[in-house]
Amino acid sequence: MKKLNLVFALLLLFGCSAQVANTDESRETTEVPTVVETSPVQLSDDIVAGIMQSIPSPIETSLLIKETGAAYSVSNLNDPTIVTTYNDSYRQALNLGVYSTDLGFANLYDKNQDVLNFLNSVKTLADKLNIGQFFDYKTIKELASSSGNVEKLLQLTQQNFERINSHLNDQKRENLSILILTGGWTEALYLTTLVHQKTKNKKLKEKIGEQKVALDQILLVLDFYKNKPNFPSLIADLKELQKVYNRVEIKTISTGKPVTKEVNGELVVEDATVSQINISDADVDLITSLTKSIRSKIIK
Amino acid sequence: MKNFIGKICLAFTAALLLSGAAFAQCDSEQYSQKSLKALTPGFTFVKSYKIDGKNGVRKNIEYTCVFSKDTNYMIRIQGKDGGANGIVATLYDQQRNELTTSFVSNKFYPGWTYKCKSTGIYYLLFTFKESESYCGAAVLGFRR
Repeated sequence: MKKLNLVFALLLLFGCSAQVANTDESRETTEVPTVVETSPVQLSDDIVAGIMQSIPSPIETSLLIKETGAAYSVSNLNDPTIVTTYNDSYRQALNLGVYSTDLGFANLYDKNQDVLNFLNSVKTLADKLNIGQFFDYKTIKELASSSGNVEKLLQLTQQNFERINSHLNDQKRENLSILILTGGWTEALYLTTLVHQKTKNKKLKEKIGEQKVALDQILLVLDFYKNKPNFPSLIADLKELQKVYNRVEIKTISTGKPVTKEVNGELVVEDATVSQINISDADVDLITSLTKSIRSKIIK
Repeated sequence: MKNFIGKICLAFTAALLLSGAAFAQCDSEQYSQKSLKALTPGFTFVKSYKIDGKNGVRKNIEYTCVFSKDTNYMIRIQGKDGGANGIVATLYDQQRNELTTSFVSNKFYPGWTYKCKSTGIYYLLFTFKESESYCGAAVLGFRR
C-alpha cells in the first residue's frame, strides 16, 4: 500500500504517459493528499533534480508579504552575526537557505545595510561549502551599496543560487541543494505565518495553505537522502507539519478551456480554472507553531 | 612525402573540427541572459530553464513547476537559431491538458503570459520544431 501511495504520488507529479482528454465540460477536482512514506522505490538523480527545480522560489512569498503592506522588521530574520556558529555542512546548507531568503527579503524592502549583512553571511557559508565561487559577491555588494537596484539584485542573487544548485547537482552533492531549498522555504513560511499572526490577511492565509504542494515536493526529495546524517530528524519534523497540511484542501473548479489572446504581439492566456484553498484557522495556528519550532531548530 | 603528411594532417584537423561542430556544446547561459533581458519590466525573475536538445538527440525537455493562484507567469525563450525560432514552450496542467503553446498559426512567439488562477503542479514542455541548433534557454518571471 505504501508503495502504491508513492507510485501514485510520482504519477501525479510526473504525469507519466497518462493522457486525459480535453473537455469543455465543467469539472471539479480536489487534490488527493500526497502520502510520502518510507519506501524502497528509488528515484533517479535526474528526477530528484527535476523535483528540486519545481520547488517555488521563496521570493514569491516574500513579495506577497511586502504587498500586504507589512512593515519590515530585521528582528524577524535570522541574526547574521551568528553565521560562524554553523560548523557542519548540514547546518551550513540549511542556514545558507535561511539567509538567502532573508537576503531576498531585505532586498525587496531596499534595506541596504541589512542586505550587506546577509550577503556576508551567505558568502561565509557558501565559502565553507566550497561553492562561494558561484556567488558574485562583488557585483551584489556594489548593487546593494546604492538604492534603486532591487530588480537587478533579485535577478543576480537568484541566478547565483541557480548556479550553486547546478554545480552541486553536477558534483552529486544534491543533498546540500535540498537542504538549502528546505532552509529557504522554511524561512519564507515562517515569515508568512509571523505576519499573518498579526494581520490575519486572507491572502497570506491562502499562501500558507498552498505551501502544501511545495512541502510534498520537499519531502519527496528529502526522503531520498533519509540515510544521511541529521536528515531523519528534519524529515520527522516536516512530516509532523505534513500531517496538518494533509487536512488542507486545494479544490480546483474548471469551466472550460483556457483562452489565449494576442495582446500587442504577446500571447496572454486566461486560466479557465479557479482554485479554492480550504484551511481552518486552527490548522493555520498549528502550522504557525510547528514552523516556528522547526525554524528554531534550524537556526539555533 | 612531406606533401602527403601535410594532407593527412589537414584531413585529420578537418575531421576534428567537423566532429567538434557535430557535438557542439550548448551554452544555455548566454540564451538565459538574453531571455532575461526580454522579460517585461514588472515581472520578477524566478527561474531559468536550460533547453539543450543535445544536437537533436533529445526531442523533449520537460520541467515541473508549482504555480500559485492569482499570479501571472511569463515565459521568455531565446535560442541559437535566433530569437525563439525552433523552440516551442507548451504548458500543461496536472491532468496533462494543454493550456497554451508558444507556436501559434505557424509562428514562433517569444513566449507567453499565463494568468494563473489555480495553485498546483504544472508541466512546462520545450520541444524543437525545424531547429538547426537544438539549443537555447528560457526564463520564468512572475507578477501579481
